[in-house]
Amino acid sequence: MAFAMRNVALLLAQAATALAVAFAITALPKTATGKESPLHSHCGDCHLGRDAEGNFKLGQIGSNPVNGDYLALSRSLERITAGEMPPPTNSVLSYPEKTALVNFLKQRLRNHPEQINRDYRLPPRRLNNREFENSVRDVLMIEDVGTHQPTDNLIGDSRSAGFDTHSQTLGFSNFHLEQYIASLRRIIDATILSGAQSSSQHYEVGPTQILSAHTSQNIKRPERRGRSSGFEFLDPKQLAYFGPFKTVPETGWYRISIRCTALDRGHYPSTETGVHDADPIRLIVQFGNRHREFELPDDKVKVIELREWLARGTRLRLRYPTDGLTLRGNGNFKFQNAIAGEYLKKHDPDLYQRVADAIVTKPGRRVLRPESWHHWVNYWRGPRPLVLGATIQGPFYDSWPPQRHAALLPELKPGDTVEDLLKPIATRAWRRTLKDGELDHIVKLIESNEEKIGKTEAFKEGLIAILASRDFLLTATEKSNVNERFASKFSLFLHSTLPDSQLIQQVNTNQLSTYDSVHAEVKRRIRAANIQPFLQEFPYGWLNLSEINFMSPDPDSYRFYHRKRLSEDMCNEVLAFFKHVVEQDLPITEFLEADYSFINADLATIYGVDDIQQDSRLRQHHFSDGRRGGLLGMGAFLTLTADSLGTSPIHRATFVMKNLLGVHPTPPPADVKIEEPDIRSARTMKEVLRLHQSEQNCAACHRNIDPYGWAFENFDSVGAWRDTYEAQTETPAKKRNRHDGPKIDASSTFADGTAYRDISGFRNFISTPENQERFARCFITKLLMYANGEVPSDHLEIDAILERAKDHDFRITATIAAVIDSRLFREE
Amino acid sequence: MNNCQRRTLLKGLGGTLALPFLESDAFAKKATGKKETDAEPLRFLVVGNPFGMHPGNFFPTGFGRDYQSTPTLKSLDWLRDRLTVISHTDHNMVSGHGREISFLSGVLPTDAQSFPEKNMSLDQLFARHVGSQVRFPSVGASLDSGIRMSWTANGVEKLPITDPQQLFNHLFLNLTDEEKKLRKQMIGRNASILDTVGDQFTGTMNGATGKDRERLQQFETSVRELELTLSDRLTWIDRDKPKLELGADFLGDGTIRKKYEAIFDMIAYAFETDLTRVATVEFPAELNYTDLNGVNRSYHGCTHNGRGEDLVNELVAIESFQIECLSRCLKKLDSIRVPHGDESMLDHTIVLFGSGMGYGGTHSNRDLPILIAGGGFNHLGHVDASDNAGRNMPLCNLYLTLMQRFGIERDSFNTSTGTFTALGWS
Repeated sequence: MAFAMRNVALLLAQAATALAVAFAITALPKTATGKESPLHSHCGDCHLGRDAEGNFKLGQIGSNPVNGDYLALSRSLERITAGEMPPPTNSVLSYPEKTALVNFLKQRLRNHPEQINRDYRLPPRRLNNREFENSVRDVLMIEDVGTHQPTDNLIGDSRSAGFDTHSQTLGFSNFHLEQYIASLRRIIDATILSGAQSSSQHYEVGPTQILSAHTSQNIKRPERRGRSSGFEFLDPKQLAYFGPFKTVPETGWYRISIRCTALDRGHYPSTETGVHDADPIRLIVQFGNRHREFELPDDKVKVIELREWLARGTRLRLRYPTDGLTLRGNGNFKFQNAIAGEYLKKHDPDLYQRVADAIVTKPGRRVLRPESWHHWVNYWRGPRPLVLGATIQGPFYDSWPPQRHAALLPELKPGDTVEDLLKPIATRAWRRTLKDGELDHIVKLIESNEEKIGKTEAFKEGLIAILASRDFLLTATEKSNVNERFASKFSLFLHSTLPDSQLIQQVNTNQLSTYDSVHAEVKRRIRAANIQPFLQEFPYGWLNLSEINFMSPDPDSYRFYHRKRLSEDMCNEVLAFFKHVVEQDLPITEFLEADYSFINADLATIYGVDDIQQDSRLRQHHFSDGRRGGLLGMGAFLTLTADSLGTSPIHRATFVMKNLLGVHPTPPPADVKIEEPDIRSARTMKEVLRLHQSEQNCAACHRNIDPYGWAFENFDSVGAWRDTYEAQTETPAKKRNRHDGPKIDASSTFADGTAYRDISGFRNFISTPENQERFARCFITKLLMYANGEVPSDHLEIDAILERAKDHDFRITATIAAVIDSRLFREE
Repeated sequence: MNNCQRRTLLKGLGGTLALPFLESDAFAKKATGKKETDAEPLRFLVVGNPFGMHPGNFFPTGFGRDYQSTPTLKSLDWLRDRLTVISHTDHNMVSGHGREISFLSGVLPTDAQSFPEKNMSLDQLFARHVGSQVRFPSVGASLDSGIRMSWTANGVEKLPITDPQQLFNHLFLNLTDEEKKLRKQMIGRNASILDTVGDQFTGTMNGATGKDRERLQQFETSVRELELTLSDRLTWIDRDKPKLELGADFLGDGTIRKKYEAIFDMIAYAFETDLTRVATVEFPAELNYTDLNGVNRSYHGCTHNGRGEDLVNELVAIESFQIECLSRCLKKLDSIRVPHGDESMLDHTIVLFGSGMGYGGTHSNRDLPILIAGGGFNHLGHVDASDNAGRNMPLCNLYLTLMQRFGIERDSFNTSTGTFTALGWS
């Protein structure tokens, strides 16, 4: 059936193309024979003459190509394809009419000199901080940039349209450069060791030598020490450290073994502690930004064995990761102690009574009731790790100088020059082959320093110069050739780092010059290489996940969301779903149409699901209610489009339009004063917006925007289902008795007459072939934005990608490969 | 600029000037060739505490300039035409301790990832703007411990100097020759790296088209600007710091009043000599305030007063002390003429007093006590910042206005929704 439909469409398209060619050679707005061009007949009403609307006049598109003409053409094409124009309120295009109009414009674009002479080459951009760290790591061939947080001084990267790869936003200043040099110096100092080899020490850490580091400003209060029975973690915010090994004394390898166990899992009801009984108690050993996480057995000693390269000054810290122990009071740990009192009251009433009777109120002090947390601090038996002790041995070295040092700076063989040592390093760093004499300046720098600071230190200065140079810090400068640029971009796209030797080899031998070979390589790398950077950063950028707490839901009304850090679960849900689609190579339409998602017990609480395992692991769950599954039912989307006061169908509509359908609603004109709705007087959101829409000016656009958002009205600020609004009262949210307000109406009608009753109707609407295609085009555009650092502007090339993806049923690896194989990505 | 010229510049700047009155002035002319004809640069002083203010004793009754003064604000009565107390503004945080550390950004460290500048505090943003025009981009001072008020753009806490003697050494004591040598060595090494990366590709932009050229030039400009900054630093190292004579009674067993007076005096002098333009002073929670008249309990203890009259009085004594210290400092600033004109330094210093906590007694983090003085604003006395619907103003709106006054061109800051136009700026 689908096949037949497509054939019909194809026939129509061909016919229309023939028609359009005829138009293309004629002038606008009227043809020589007096017949109107399709552009004229469909758009002329509004976009002709002095009163032309929307800052766009048909006159801008002349009979001959002129300046700005190309932009006007492609912008028109974009908006007509997206269904934004002509506005459905004014005229509804039949399918053949639309096709004819689209083909007419495409033909004009195709023959346009600007299209024919188009330069696909993109200007170099600065590496963002993630790419910088990964690339330095790979140039120096080390596991990470180091445990002493050497990149902490870098200036944070801003995002544009969600992406941290945006070329224009990644500016360069002297401040950036200074921080890069400082950071590189620290990284290299912990990789190449000058001076004499340090001798190894043995540290025995007893339980009383484990201390809880200060988390507050109160540094005078003595730190809590472990008892002879071990160090117990109480407040999950607390970090513990080993007294005899506060910081790493010298850079090198360390063997660390930590004896630990888990206590009292499930002793208190998980409804009180917020810690799921089925979750094992974990311990994180943290060396700067390097974290190692372990599951601890209950009441049985586990010995964690670690062998780590640690930089001097690294702080070793232990942490108890849990999102629980925050449900009482304002979330601070001390309030949780009241749970101990309640437990004793029920299970050991005698002890409870003894403690209660012993309470003495000092004169002038507050009277504390027995329930108060203060009395139960010493009786706490919540779930917690217990650390019994540790031994540390180090620094030791596999050789001297250590391997990583020798890999960069080996003993010079007779006849070798410094330049020979630098060559492979600079080739990796600059992601290209070197030209003759390019390292002269670096060699000179090293030589001029040798006498003053010694050979090793001087060599390090040279390394810093290689990495502080523009050909490392900027992508693809004019010195690289087409192949080198492609390899570098391919690698940044999937791995956020410089290309590995295999990739370079493949590109240089033309093994990645076809769509099929790119497709095979993408699939291979998904299976066999580290594509975590793509799996994490692309969905983050695409769906603006970093903004989820920019306007977080009201902390009083949505305690659970804040206390249990639901925003993290919500983002992880998106990532898990994305990873699933990539690894199973599903069609991208799965994002909109799937009836499943990946949830844990906390998300299930929000989503109203009760038949699920009570722990924090995300598992695939099928929803049978027709309301959830895929992106549209995810808390992440529903929360980040709500603001702290409540939900807004307009925010949700614009999110769906911009990020899922590729429609860009016109922002309100600058001279319109938007009155903030006074939520106390109006009753339902519909009424609030009706007030707003009674303004003729606003209504024109909002008729086309709002229908994309009403469907989500049944989801509150954190994405939980609701049938009615909460009644608005003057009392603060905390003290308010929740009672039902007006019933929610989530129905809406698009300007062209398409209507839906609720979210399941909307889900049907968004799964039509036409909307699938809009979604695919939008997804492709987002991939290109992530890869290129700018919004792609070549409509015809995106068409070509779309067609190819469609030929593969929009399977995600095929879509990605079509993007990578496009001229927009290859820049040629 | 070629290699040779750059070298000469770096060398030529060292050690030529001794004991200038104004740290940055003569130097700015020579080093950058820029004339200091611009208006007198502004200074920024933030004073904060961790527990807010007892509202009944802080917020005046009545609005406008003829507000009814309150016990805590009494010492500032002399300045009532040139200050603004702002009611109904905050960061919309839930109650409880630990949120006050968002005072100068509106962002908690746990939410920092959602913001490009993390939970960078206002003072550090100002300091970044000033850069190396002065010797110290910012100075943070406190007594005994800090209140976690200053954060960098990467969400790293910037600790204040908690000992007046150390503060004195930091601001006014010259480095030893050995320290100077080490610092100069490091600057020298960085300078030659810059030489190398600057020269490496000079004149080889062949094949770079328009857009490429722009980005590559951005890099080259950065190299040159950083070279100038380093040569600035080299100069700072060799030039003696301004001299300040302070009595010895702030040392050792001095009262906390004497110690805070010394801290504020040092800061006023640092402003006067343009050692720095951004300073923060903190009143920590753990400090022993019992040497103040009538105070017998801990600061934290006093905030949990159960509305007992005696305890409230103790709390008000502590809070009044903080304002008195501020008032004394402002008087001092007002008596100083700015170096390039006849106006008072106070009118060129944006002063912000406040806390990230509303009031410790209720643990509320709403309705923060916020006071602005100086800075050449159109001051309003006491003003209600809430909107027509009765909602509090995001404090970041005020911060945006302060930023714009300071010359930072921005139109948003973290949770801001606009500016605080009432101050007659922006």
